Amino acid sequence: MATPSYSYGKTLLKIDNVSLEYDGRPVLSGVTAEVRDIIVPGRVQGQVVGILGPSGCGKTTLFRIIAGLHAPTSGRVSVNGFDRPVRAGEVGVVAQSYPLFEHRSVLGNLMLGAMKKEKDRNSAREKVMAFLREFELEDKYNLYPAQLSGGQRQRCAIIQQILCSEHFLLMDEPFSGLDLIMLEKTADLISKVSDMDDLNTIIVVTHDVAAACTVADHLWLMGRSNDEKGNPLPGSRIVKQYNLIDRGLAWQPNLTSTAAFGDFVREVKDEFRRL
Amino acid sequence: MNHLLAVFFPNHVLNKTAVRILIATQVAIVLLLWIFSPFVLLPKPGEVLSALSELWEQGLGAELITSFYLNVQAILVATVVSLLLAYATVMPFFRPVVALLSKLRFLSLVGLTFFFTVMTKSGHQLKLSLLVFSVSVFFVTGMADVINGIPKEMFDLARTLRMGEWRVVWEVIVLGQIDKAFDVLRQNAAIGWMMLTMVEGIVRSEGGVGTILLDQNHHFRLAAVFAIQLTILILGLFQDYSIGLFKNLLCPYAALTLERN
Repeated sequence: MATPSYSYGKTLLKIDNVSLEYDGRPVLSGVTAEVRDIIVPGRVQGQVVGILGPSGCGKTTLFRIIAGLHAPTSGRVSVNGFDRPVRAGEVGVVAQSYPLFEHRSVLGNLMLGAMKKEKDRNSAREKVMAFLREFELEDKYNLYPAQLSGGQRQRCAIIQQILCSEHFLLMDEPFSGLDLIMLEKTADLISKVSDMDDLNTIIVVTHDVAAACTVADHLWLMGRSNDEKGNPLPGSRIVKQYNLIDRGLAWQPNLTSTAAFGDFVREVKDEFRRL
Repeated sequence: MNHLLAVFFPNHVLNKTAVRILIATQVAIVLLLWIFSPFVLLPKPGEVLSALSELWEQGLGAELITSFYLNVQAILVATVVSLLLAYATVMPFFRPVVALLSKLRFLSLVGLTFFFTVMTKSGHQLKLSLLVFSVSVFFVTGMADVINGIPKEMFDLARTLRMGEWRVVWEVIVLGQIDKAFDVLRQNAAIGWMMLTMVEGIVRSEGGVGTILLDQNHHFRLAAVFAIQLTILILGLFQDYSIGLFKNLLCPYAALTLERN
């Protein structure tokens, strides 16, 4: 299938020269990147960015900064063109363990998210129930999180954050420990969420190269750069960005079985090994 | 045979009937050991029952009510005080204060009696304040540990749902840990009974089971001592069961992830 023509719209999320130090030790150094609205005429098209990097390169730290949960030492993350740093809650966060409030039912958990944007309880409940229907969780609304399966819990955590955030969703290692079937389901879920609204932007932080390439339209590779003599520079940054749309590797059915996909994954892995 | 041996397998989960049979068997063994024990100083069950009947006629029931009332009063006050202090640790100002209070659990009550006597106006108030103090120092330690043990991701979750910091405290610390607060209460209510007999021994006004226990012990009436201990145990078990029942009613989610449920 030919890749549809697309163009970029406004900047949705901007990471502007973000650096972070712990006790004088640089963790992130001058991280700069942006997510722009992808416009495909005649269809709803969200954005999915994959952040890849080896363990310990500061992915989770950057994740917390983008979520507004941690202030960088310098630089700024902003969303929706606001001239101020991102605030907690503007970017939804789905952590690796899919945390939910165990003392609240599924409905109670989701109402906490919905009530932040809806004017009254009735409209919030209607919105929650619509999401539960969409994500095949309608009959689970009165269960406690401990009674859900891993997949159901993941969907519930995603809905909770979508209900509250401003079209942004950060997912930390969503493919970790999943079997092949669940991995495909999670990838489908990410595509489904991103395509619910033109402005929906999902940032997937992972070290699973193939899975990230499956869902993303853009990839950011994080790691340490080297100076002219080949010595690693302090602090991680985004060392390479890939546009998968231009390579014909985004929005394609049966993408993973194509030779081009395999070649691209190898290319990224080779780059990954050099970090 | 395998079913019988299964009770010795590590982490083996028994069904409810098997658990009941196991408990009944162990109780029967303890009773048999008690009845046929060659230890001459150990009063036999018949002697204990007879002593219990005698004590009851002498007013043990009224003394039990006095002690139970004092203990419930102390537990209620200690619960409110300890929870407030533990929740106050969300503010840095209160953390050293609570840490210091927690350390006071190493102090002996006997050494504090004088100060509490000076501060209170009646025997009941003195006993109540001693009990509240002795339970609170343990309660606050347990509850502060519960709060310290909350994972960072729960706070993050609340913040990503745009909750202000006081709402985070309410959702994550107060509501989110209410099941664990019941567990801490359960332990400390039991400590209350242990302390009660000591407190009633130190301050003998109003009587109470602690006073009778010390008197009987003083005169080496072991059957009566056993009878009082047995009564306290039954009352304590009733109290423990009641708190557990409340916890299960208010926090049905708490047992969902437990293996030994």
